[in-house]
Amino acid sequence: MPIKFVTTGKPITPGERKVSRVLLLFEDIVKVPVFGCQRCGECILSSTGFVCSQRCPKRLRNGPCGGTGEGGQCEVYPERKCVWYKIHKRSKLFGRLSLLYKLNNIHNWNLEGTSAWLNVFMKRITAPIWFVRGDKQKVKEILSNDAQRKD
Amino acid sequence: MTLKEKIEAGKFIVCGEIGPPKSCDGDVLREKSKYFKGIVDAVNITDNQTAVVRLSSIASAKILLDEGIEPIIQMTCRDRNRLAIQSDLLGAAALGIHNLLCLTGDYQKFGDQPEAKGVFDLDSIQLVATAARMNCGFLLSEQEMKKTPGFVIGAAANPFAEPLEMRIIRLYKKVQAGACFIQTQPVFDMNIFNKWMEKVVELGLHEKCAILAGVMPVKSVKALYHMKKEVPGVKINDEYISRLEKALDPKEEGVKIAVEMIQTIRKIKGVRGIHIMPVMWESITPVIVKEAGLNSA
Repeated sequence: MPIKFVTTGKPITPGERKVSRVLLLFEDIVKVPVFGCQRCGECILSSTGFVCSQRCPKRLRNGPCGGTGEGGQCEVYPERKCVWYKIHKRSKLFGRLSLLYKLNNIHNWNLEGTSAWLNVFMKRITAPIWFVRGDKQKVKEILSNDAQRKD
Repeated sequence: MTLKEKIEAGKFIVCGEIGPPKSCDGDVLREKSKYFKGIVDAVNITDNQTAVVRLSSIASAKILLDEGIEPIIQMTCRDRNRLAIQSDLLGAAALGIHNLLCLTGDYQKFGDQPEAKGVFDLDSIQLVATAARMNCGFLLSEQEMKKTPGFVIGAAANPFAEPLEMRIIRLYKKVQAGACFIQTQPVFDMNIFNKWMEKVVELGLHEKCAILAGVMPVKSVKALYHMKKEVPGVKINDEYISRLEKALDPKEEGVKIAVEMIQTIRKIKGVRGIHIMPVMWESITPVIVKEAGLNSA
Protein backbone atom coordinates (compact mmCIF):
# COMPACT_ATOMS: atom_id res chain seq x y z
CA MET A 1 0.00 0.00 0.00
CA PRO A 2 1.57 3.32 -1.05
CA ILE A 3 1.86 6.24 1.35
CA LYS A 4 -1.20 8.23 2.25
CA PHE A 5 -0.83 11.97 1.82
CA VAL A 6 -4.39 13.23 1.96
CA THR A 7 -5.75 14.39 5.30
CA THR A 8 -8.95 12.45 5.88
CA GLY A 9 -10.60 11.52 9.18
CA LYS A 10 -14.08 11.71 10.58
CA PRO A 11 -16.41 14.31 9.05
CA ILE A 12 -17.05 17.43 11.12
CA THR A 13 -20.36 17.30 13.01
CA PRO A 14 -22.59 20.40 13.34
CA GLY A 15 -21.84 20.44 17.08
CA GLU A 16 -18.14 20.51 16.38
CA ARG A 17 -18.57 23.40 13.99
CA LYS A 18 -20.09 25.40 16.88
CA VAL A 19 -17.13 24.58 19.15
CA SER A 20 -14.80 25.38 16.26
CA ARG A 21 -16.35 28.81 15.81
CA VAL A 22 -15.80 29.68 19.48
CA LEU A 23 -12.22 28.40 19.42
CA LEU A 24 -11.51 30.38 16.25
CA LEU A 25 -12.25 33.61 18.13
CA PHE A 26 -9.17 32.92 20.26
CA GLU A 27 -7.12 31.27 17.55
CA ASP A 28 -7.54 34.25 15.23
CA ILE A 29 -6.35 36.70 17.88
CA VAL A 30 -2.98 34.96 17.91
CA LYS A 31 -2.60 33.55 14.42
CA VAL A 32 -4.00 36.24 12.15
CA PRO A 33 -1.91 39.26 13.28
CA VAL A 34 1.24 37.29 14.10
CA PHE A 35 1.43 34.75 11.26
CA GLY A 36 -1.06 36.09 8.70
CA CYS A 37 -3.14 32.92 9.15
CA GLN A 38 -5.49 32.14 6.27
CA ARG A 39 -7.65 29.73 8.34
CA CYS A 40 -7.01 26.63 6.25
CA GLY A 41 -7.79 24.53 9.32
CA GLU A 42 -4.89 22.24 8.52
CA CYS A 43 -2.08 24.17 10.16
CA ILE A 44 1.49 23.40 9.12
CA LEU A 45 2.97 26.58 10.64
CA SER A 46 5.36 24.61 12.84
CA SER A 47 6.97 22.89 9.86
CA THR A 48 7.23 26.07 7.81
CA GLY A 49 9.32 28.15 10.20
CA PHE A 50 6.19 29.79 11.67
CA VAL A 51 5.40 31.63 8.44
CA CYS A 52 1.97 30.83 6.97
CA SER A 53 2.49 29.06 3.63
CA GLN A 54 -1.13 29.69 2.67
CA ARG A 55 -0.42 33.34 1.92
CA CYS A 56 1.23 32.12 -1.30
CA PRO A 57 -1.07 33.03 -4.24
CA LYS A 58 -0.82 29.42 -5.40
CA ARG A 59 -1.27 28.20 -1.81
CA LEU A 60 1.70 25.87 -2.22
CA ARG A 61 2.35 23.61 0.75
CA ASN A 62 5.60 22.02 -0.35
CA GLY A 63 8.00 24.78 -1.30
CA PRO A 64 8.28 27.72 -3.67
CA CYS A 65 7.26 27.67 -7.34
CA GLY A 66 9.95 28.39 -9.91
CA GLY A 67 9.17 32.09 -10.14
CA THR A 68 10.83 33.59 -7.08
CA GLY A 69 12.72 36.72 -8.11
CA GLU A 70 16.38 37.46 -7.47
CA GLY A 71 15.59 39.51 -4.38
CA GLY A 72 13.00 37.00 -3.24
CA GLN A 73 9.97 38.73 -4.78
CA CYS A 74 6.74 36.88 -5.44
CA GLU A 75 6.15 36.43 -9.19
CA VAL A 76 2.45 37.21 -8.92
CA TYR A 77 2.72 40.28 -6.67
CA PRO A 78 6.25 41.65 -7.13
CA GLU A 79 5.71 44.16 -4.32
CA ARG A 80 5.51 41.22 -1.87
CA LYS A 81 8.19 38.81 -0.73
CA CYS A 82 7.69 35.17 -1.69
CA VAL A 83 6.36 33.44 1.42
CA TRP A 84 8.57 30.43 0.76
CA TYR A 85 11.59 32.73 0.60
CA LYS A 86 10.61 33.89 4.08
CA ILE A 87 9.94 30.33 5.22
CA HIS A 88 13.40 29.25 4.13
CA LYS A 89 15.05 32.22 5.85
CA ARG A 90 13.11 31.74 9.06
CA SER A 91 13.65 27.96 9.12
CA LYS A 92 17.37 28.48 8.72
CA LEU A 93 17.41 31.09 11.50
CA PHE A 94 15.49 28.88 13.92
CA GLY A 95 17.30 25.66 12.96
CA ARG A 96 14.21 24.00 11.52
CA LEU A 97 15.41 23.19 7.98
CA SER A 98 14.96 19.44 8.51
CA LEU A 99 11.19 19.98 8.65
CA LEU A 100 11.16 21.31 5.08
CA TYR A 101 12.09 17.87 3.72
CA LYS A 102 8.73 16.41 4.74
CA LEU A 103 5.96 15.93 2.14
CA ASN A 104 2.99 17.96 3.34
CA ASN A 105 -0.44 16.50 2.73
CA ILE A 106 -2.89 17.54 0.03
CA HIS A 107 -5.24 20.01 1.69
CA ASN A 108 -8.54 18.72 3.01
CA TRP A 109 -10.98 21.43 1.95
CA ASN A 110 -13.56 20.23 4.48
CA LEU A 111 -11.32 21.71 7.14
CA GLU A 112 -11.19 25.14 5.49
CA GLY A 113 -12.31 27.81 7.95
CA THR A 114 -12.33 25.50 10.98
CA SER A 115 -10.19 25.68 14.10
CA ALA A 116 -6.85 23.93 13.61
CA TRP A 117 -6.56 23.56 17.39
CA LEU A 118 -9.78 21.56 17.45
CA ASN A 119 -8.60 19.51 14.47
CA VAL A 120 -5.39 18.63 16.33
CA PHE A 121 -7.43 17.70 19.40
CA MET A 122 -9.71 15.50 17.26
CA LYS A 123 -6.60 13.90 15.69
CA ARG A 124 -7.54 14.95 12.15
CA ILE A 125 -4.20 16.69 11.69
CA THR A 126 -0.83 16.13 13.33
CA ALA A 127 0.18 18.17 16.35
CA PRO A 128 2.70 21.00 15.88
CA ILE A 129 6.38 20.28 16.41
CA TRP A 130 7.55 22.82 18.97
CA PHE A 131 11.25 22.03 19.33
CA VAL A 132 13.81 20.71 16.90
CA ARG A 133 17.20 19.66 18.29
CA GLY A 134 20.25 19.08 16.15
CA ASP A 135 18.74 20.32 12.90
CA LYS A 136 21.90 19.87 10.80
CA GLN A 137 22.36 16.32 12.06
CA LYS A 138 18.72 15.58 11.24
CA VAL A 139 19.09 16.82 7.67
CA LYS A 140 22.12 14.56 7.27
CA GLU A 141 20.17 11.61 8.65
CA ILE A 142 17.25 12.25 6.29
CA LEU A 143 19.59 12.24 3.30
CA SER A 144 21.67 9.23 4.42
CA ASN A 145 18.73 7.09 5.58
CA ASP A 146 17.36 7.51 2.17
CA ALA A 147 20.63 6.42 0.60
CA GLN A 148 20.55 3.25 2.68
CA ARG A 149 16.98 2.50 1.80
CA LYS A 150 17.88 2.64 -1.86
CA ASP A 151 20.44 -0.16 -1.40
CA MET B 1 13.22 1.87 -27.38
CA THR B 2 10.80 3.85 -25.27
CA LEU B 3 11.75 6.72 -22.98
CA LYS B 4 11.35 4.46 -19.96
CA GLU B 5 13.72 1.85 -21.37
CA LYS B 6 16.24 4.52 -22.27
CA ILE B 7 16.16 5.96 -18.76
CA GLU B 8 16.60 2.51 -17.28
CA ALA B 9 19.41 1.63 -19.67
CA GLY B 10 21.26 4.85 -18.83
CA LYS B 11 21.22 6.13 -22.42
CA PHE B 12 21.70 9.83 -23.18
CA ILE B 13 18.26 11.32 -23.75
CA VAL B 14 17.22 14.14 -26.08
CA CYS B 15 13.78 15.70 -25.70
CA GLY B 16 12.03 18.32 -27.81
CA GLU B 17 9.03 20.47 -27.14
CA ILE B 18 5.88 21.33 -29.08
CA GLY B 19 3.39 24.02 -28.16
CA PRO B 20 -0.10 23.08 -29.42
CA PRO B 21 -1.94 25.65 -31.59
CA LYS B 22 -4.48 28.17 -30.31
CA SER B 23 -7.15 26.51 -32.44
CA CYS B 24 -8.59 23.08 -33.14
CA ASP B 25 -6.34 22.56 -36.16
CA GLY B 26 -4.65 19.21 -35.57
CA ASP B 27 -2.80 19.47 -38.88
CA VAL B 28 -0.51 22.08 -37.32
CA LEU B 29 0.73 19.37 -35.00
CA ARG B 30 1.06 16.81 -37.78
CA GLU B 31 3.07 19.38 -39.71
CA LYS B 32 5.35 20.09 -36.75
CA SER B 33 5.85 16.41 -36.04
CA LYS B 34 8.20 16.06 -39.02
CA TYR B 35 10.82 18.11 -37.18
CA PHE B 36 10.94 15.54 -34.41
CA LYS B 37 10.28 12.12 -35.89
CA GLY B 38 13.38 9.97 -35.59
CA ILE B 39 15.37 12.95 -34.31
CA VAL B 40 14.53 13.18 -30.61
CA ASP B 41 13.62 10.49 -28.09
CA ALA B 42 10.46 12.15 -26.81
CA VAL B 43 8.57 15.41 -27.20
CA ASN B 44 6.99 17.51 -24.46
CA ILE B 45 3.49 18.76 -25.16
CA THR B 46 2.81 21.91 -23.18
CA ASP B 47 -0.38 22.28 -21.19
CA ASN B 48 -1.81 25.78 -21.74
CA GLN B 49 1.62 27.30 -21.24
CA THR B 50 1.80 30.78 -19.72
CA ALA B 51 -1.90 30.39 -18.95
CA VAL B 52 -2.99 30.85 -22.58
CA VAL B 53 -5.69 28.50 -23.88
CA ARG B 54 -4.39 26.01 -26.43
CA LEU B 55 -5.38 22.63 -27.82
CA SER B 56 -5.43 20.13 -24.95
CA SER B 57 -2.10 18.47 -24.26
CA ILE B 58 -3.57 14.97 -24.06
CA ALA B 59 -5.41 15.35 -27.38
CA SER B 60 -2.25 16.76 -28.99
CA ALA B 61 -0.22 13.90 -27.56
CA LYS B 62 -2.61 11.38 -29.12
CA ILE B 63 -2.24 13.06 -32.52
CA LEU B 64 1.55 12.92 -32.23
CA LEU B 65 1.48 9.35 -30.97
CA ASP B 66 -0.38 8.39 -34.15
CA GLU B 67 2.36 10.16 -36.12
CA GLY B 68 4.94 7.89 -34.51
CA ILE B 69 6.32 10.29 -31.91
CA GLU B 70 6.66 9.48 -28.25
CA PRO B 71 4.91 12.29 -26.36
CA ILE B 72 5.47 13.55 -22.81
CA ILE B 73 2.33 15.30 -21.61
CA GLN B 74 2.70 18.21 -19.28
CA MET B 75 0.08 18.30 -16.55
CA THR B 76 -0.41 21.46 -14.54
CA CYS B 77 -2.30 21.98 -11.30
CA ARG B 78 -3.57 25.41 -12.30
CA ASP B 79 -6.57 24.24 -14.29
CA ARG B 80 -7.71 21.08 -12.57
CA ASN B 81 -8.69 19.88 -9.15
CA ARG B 82 -7.73 16.42 -7.87
CA LEU B 83 -10.75 14.75 -9.47
CA ALA B 84 -10.04 16.16 -12.94
CA ILE B 85 -6.33 15.41 -12.67
CA GLN B 86 -6.88 11.76 -11.85
CA SER B 87 -9.52 11.35 -14.50
CA ASP B 88 -7.35 13.05 -17.16
CA LEU B 89 -4.39 10.89 -16.20
CA LEU B 90 -6.49 7.74 -16.53
CA GLY B 91 -7.68 8.99 -19.91
CA ALA B 92 -4.12 9.60 -21.06
CA ALA B 93 -3.01 6.14 -19.97
CA ALA B 94 -5.96 4.58 -21.78
CA LEU B 95 -4.87 6.35 -24.98
CA GLY B 96 -1.40 4.87 -24.60
CA ILE B 97 0.28 8.02 -23.29
CA HIS B 98 2.45 7.15 -20.32
CA ASN B 99 5.06 9.88 -20.07
CA LEU B 100 4.06 12.62 -17.73
CA LEU B 101 5.65 15.88 -16.61
CA CYS B 102 4.14 17.22 -13.40
CA LEU B 103 4.08 21.00 -13.02
CA THR B 104 2.42 23.49 -10.71
CA GLY B 105 1.68 25.78 -13.65
CA ASP B 106 2.09 29.46 -14.43
CA TYR B 107 -0.19 31.75 -12.51
CA GLN B 108 -3.31 32.72 -14.51
CA LYS B 109 -2.41 36.42 -14.19
CA PHE B 110 0.30 35.95 -16.85
CA GLY B 111 -2.08 34.62 -19.48
CA ASP B 112 -4.62 36.17 -21.82
CA GLN B 113 -7.47 35.59 -19.36
CA PRO B 114 -6.17 36.89 -16.05
CA GLU B 115 -9.70 36.93 -14.61
CA ALA B 116 -9.72 33.13 -14.42
CA LYS B 117 -9.86 31.20 -11.17
CA GLY B 118 -6.66 29.33 -10.47
CA VAL B 119 -7.28 25.93 -8.93
CA PHE B 120 -3.96 24.77 -7.39
CA ASP B 121 -5.73 22.01 -5.47
CA LEU B 122 -2.47 20.03 -5.59
CA ASP B 123 1.08 21.25 -6.03
CA SER B 124 3.61 19.67 -8.37
CA ILE B 125 5.13 17.45 -5.66
CA GLN B 126 1.74 16.16 -4.60
CA LEU B 127 0.95 15.58 -8.28
CA VAL B 128 4.09 13.45 -8.62
CA ALA B 129 3.03 11.52 -5.53
CA THR B 130 -0.50 11.10 -6.93
CA ALA B 131 0.81 9.66 -10.20
CA ALA B 132 3.16 7.36 -8.24
CA ARG B 133 0.23 6.21 -6.15
CA MET B 134 -1.76 5.48 -9.32
CA ASN B 135 1.19 3.45 -10.59
CA CYS B 136 0.81 1.32 -7.44
CA GLY B 137 -2.82 0.73 -8.37
CA PHE B 138 -4.56 3.21 -6.09
CA LEU B 139 -6.41 6.44 -6.64
CA LEU B 140 -6.16 9.22 -4.04
CA SER B 141 -9.16 7.64 -2.40
CA GLU B 142 -8.61 4.09 -1.19
CA GLN B 143 -10.13 2.89 -4.48
CA GLU B 144 -8.03 0.14 -5.99
CA MET B 145 -7.64 -0.11 -9.76
CA LYS B 146 -7.53 -3.39 -11.63
CA LYS B 147 -5.12 -2.05 -14.22
CA THR B 148 -2.23 0.25 -13.38
CA PRO B 149 -1.39 3.17 -15.69
CA GLY B 150 2.38 2.66 -15.66
CA PHE B 151 3.36 6.31 -15.81
CA VAL B 152 6.92 7.44 -16.40
CA ILE B 153 6.82 10.35 -14.00
CA GLY B 154 8.83 13.50 -14.58
CA ALA B 155 9.06 16.83 -12.83
CA ALA B 156 10.65 20.18 -13.43
CA ALA B 157 13.41 21.90 -11.49
CA ASN B 158 14.59 25.47 -11.58
CA PRO B 159 18.22 25.69 -10.47
CA PHE B 160 18.26 29.46 -11.01
CA ALA B 161 15.52 30.85 -8.75
CA GLU B 162 15.99 31.97 -5.17
CA PRO B 163 16.27 30.55 -2.54
CA LEU B 164 18.80 28.18 -4.08
CA GLU B 165 18.89 25.81 -1.11
CA MET B 166 15.13 25.36 -1.33
CA ARG B 167 15.53 24.22 -4.96
CA ILE B 168 17.55 21.22 -3.85
CA ILE B 169 15.02 20.43 -1.10
CA ARG B 170 12.23 20.52 -3.66
CA LEU B 171 14.18 18.32 -6.04
CA TYR B 172 14.76 15.87 -3.20
CA LYS B 173 11.05 15.85 -2.39
CA LYS B 174 10.11 15.27 -6.03
CA VAL B 175 12.50 12.34 -6.39
CA GLN B 176 11.32 10.97 -3.06
CA ALA B 177 7.69 11.26 -4.24
CA GLY B 178 8.50 9.15 -7.31
CA ALA B 179 9.85 11.31 -10.14
CA CYS B 180 12.18 9.34 -12.39
CA PHE B 181 13.24 12.13 -14.72
CA ILE B 182 13.75 15.85 -14.16
CA GLN B 183 13.73 18.57 -16.80
CA THR B 184 15.37 21.84 -15.77
CA GLN B 185 14.46 25.37 -16.74
CA PRO B 186 16.58 26.66 -19.64
CA VAL B 187 20.22 27.14 -18.74
CA PHE B 188 21.56 30.61 -19.44
CA ASP B 189 24.10 30.72 -16.64
CA MET B 190 26.63 27.91 -16.61
CA ASN B 191 28.13 28.82 -13.21
CA ILE B 192 24.90 28.46 -11.28
CA PHE B 193 23.98 25.32 -13.17
CA ASN B 194 27.38 23.79 -12.40
CA LYS B 195 27.02 24.55 -8.71
CA TRP B 196 23.52 23.09 -8.67
CA MET B 197 24.68 19.91 -10.42
CA GLU B 198 27.55 19.54 -7.93
CA LYS B 199 25.04 19.61 -5.09
CA VAL B 200 22.77 17.14 -6.92
CA VAL B 201 25.67 14.72 -7.44
CA GLU B 202 26.80 15.15 -3.83
CA LEU B 203 23.36 14.03 -2.62
CA GLY B 204 23.29 11.19 -5.13
CA LEU B 205 20.04 12.43 -6.67
CA HIS B 206 21.42 11.99 -10.20
CA GLU B 207 21.40 8.22 -9.66
CA LYS B 208 17.76 8.13 -8.67
CA CYS B 209 16.45 10.19 -11.54
CA ALA B 210 17.63 11.24 -14.98
CA ILE B 211 18.48 14.95 -15.02
CA LEU B 212 17.74 16.54 -18.41
CA ALA B 213 19.15 20.04 -18.80
CA GLY B 214 16.97 22.60 -20.56
CA VAL B 215 18.44 24.44 -23.54
CA MET B 216 16.52 27.25 -25.19
CA PRO B 217 17.71 28.55 -28.56
CA VAL B 218 16.65 32.17 -29.06
CA LYS B 219 16.00 34.00 -32.31
CA SER B 220 16.92 37.49 -31.22
CA VAL B 221 18.39 39.48 -28.38
CA LYS B 222 14.90 40.86 -27.73
CA ALA B 223 13.81 37.47 -26.47
CA LEU B 224 16.64 37.49 -23.93
CA TYR B 225 15.81 41.03 -22.77
CA HIS B 226 12.21 39.99 -22.38
CA MET B 227 13.12 36.96 -20.32
CA LYS B 228 15.54 38.85 -18.14
CA LYS B 229 12.96 41.54 -17.38
CA GLU B 230 9.61 39.81 -17.48
CA VAL B 231 10.10 36.14 -16.69
CA PRO B 232 10.74 35.60 -12.98
CA GLY B 233 13.23 33.00 -11.82
CA VAL B 234 15.46 33.18 -14.91
CA LYS B 235 19.13 34.14 -14.72
CA ILE B 236 20.87 35.14 -17.94
CA ASN B 237 24.60 35.60 -18.21
CA ASP B 238 25.44 38.94 -19.87
CA GLU B 239 27.91 37.12 -22.12
CA TYR B 240 25.05 35.67 -24.17
CA ILE B 241 23.28 39.02 -24.41
CA SER B 242 26.36 40.80 -25.73
CA ARG B 243 27.11 38.00 -28.18
CA LEU B 244 23.61 38.22 -29.63
CA GLU B 245 23.74 42.01 -29.69
CA LYS B 246 26.91 41.97 -31.77
CA ALA B 247 25.88 39.16 -34.09
CA LEU B 248 25.09 40.01 -37.72
CA ASP B 249 22.72 37.09 -37.98
CA PRO B 250 21.13 36.66 -34.51
CA LYS B 251 19.33 33.46 -35.53
CA GLU B 252 22.58 31.78 -36.53
CA GLU B 253 24.30 33.04 -33.37
CA GLY B 254 21.37 31.74 -31.29
CA VAL B 255 21.85 28.28 -32.75
CA LYS B 256 25.61 28.50 -32.20
CA ILE B 257 25.15 29.41 -28.55
CA ALA B 258 22.68 26.56 -28.04
CA VAL B 259 25.04 24.05 -29.68
CA GLU B 260 28.01 25.22 -27.59
CA MET B 261 25.90 25.05 -24.48
CA ILE B 262 24.83 21.47 -25.22
CA GLN B 263 28.43 20.45 -25.73
CA THR B 264 29.45 21.99 -22.40
CA ILE B 265 26.48 20.57 -20.52
CA ARG B 266 27.13 17.05 -21.82
CA LYS B 267 30.48 17.02 -20.05
CA ILE B 268 29.00 17.90 -16.65
CA LYS B 269 28.85 14.95 -14.32
CA GLY B 270 25.35 13.70 -13.59
CA VAL B 271 23.58 15.16 -16.62
CA ARG B 272 21.67 12.43 -18.40
CA GLY B 273 20.13 14.32 -21.26
CA ILE B 274 19.11 17.51 -22.96
CA HIS B 275 15.70 19.06 -23.27
CA ILE B 276 15.57 21.44 -26.26
CA MET B 277 12.80 23.96 -25.77
CA PRO B 278 12.59 26.62 -28.50
CA VAL B 279 9.52 28.78 -28.00
CA MET B 280 7.42 28.72 -31.20
CA TRP B 281 10.52 27.83 -33.24
CA GLU B 282 10.18 24.05 -33.40
CA SER B 283 11.76 23.89 -36.86
CA ILE B 284 15.19 24.62 -35.39
CA THR B 285 15.28 21.47 -33.25
CA PRO B 286 16.63 19.10 -35.96
CA VAL B 287 19.34 21.64 -36.86
CA ILE B 288 20.54 21.85 -33.27
CA VAL B 289 20.42 18.11 -32.74
CA LYS B 290 22.52 17.60 -35.87
CA GLU B 291 25.07 20.34 -35.17
CA ALA B 292 25.53 19.31 -31.56
CA GLY B 293 26.15 15.74 -32.72
CA LEU B 294 23.35 14.33 -30.58
CA ASN B 295 22.18 11.94 -33.29
CA SER B 296 24.92 9.47 -32.57
CA ALA B 297 24.28 9.62 -28.83
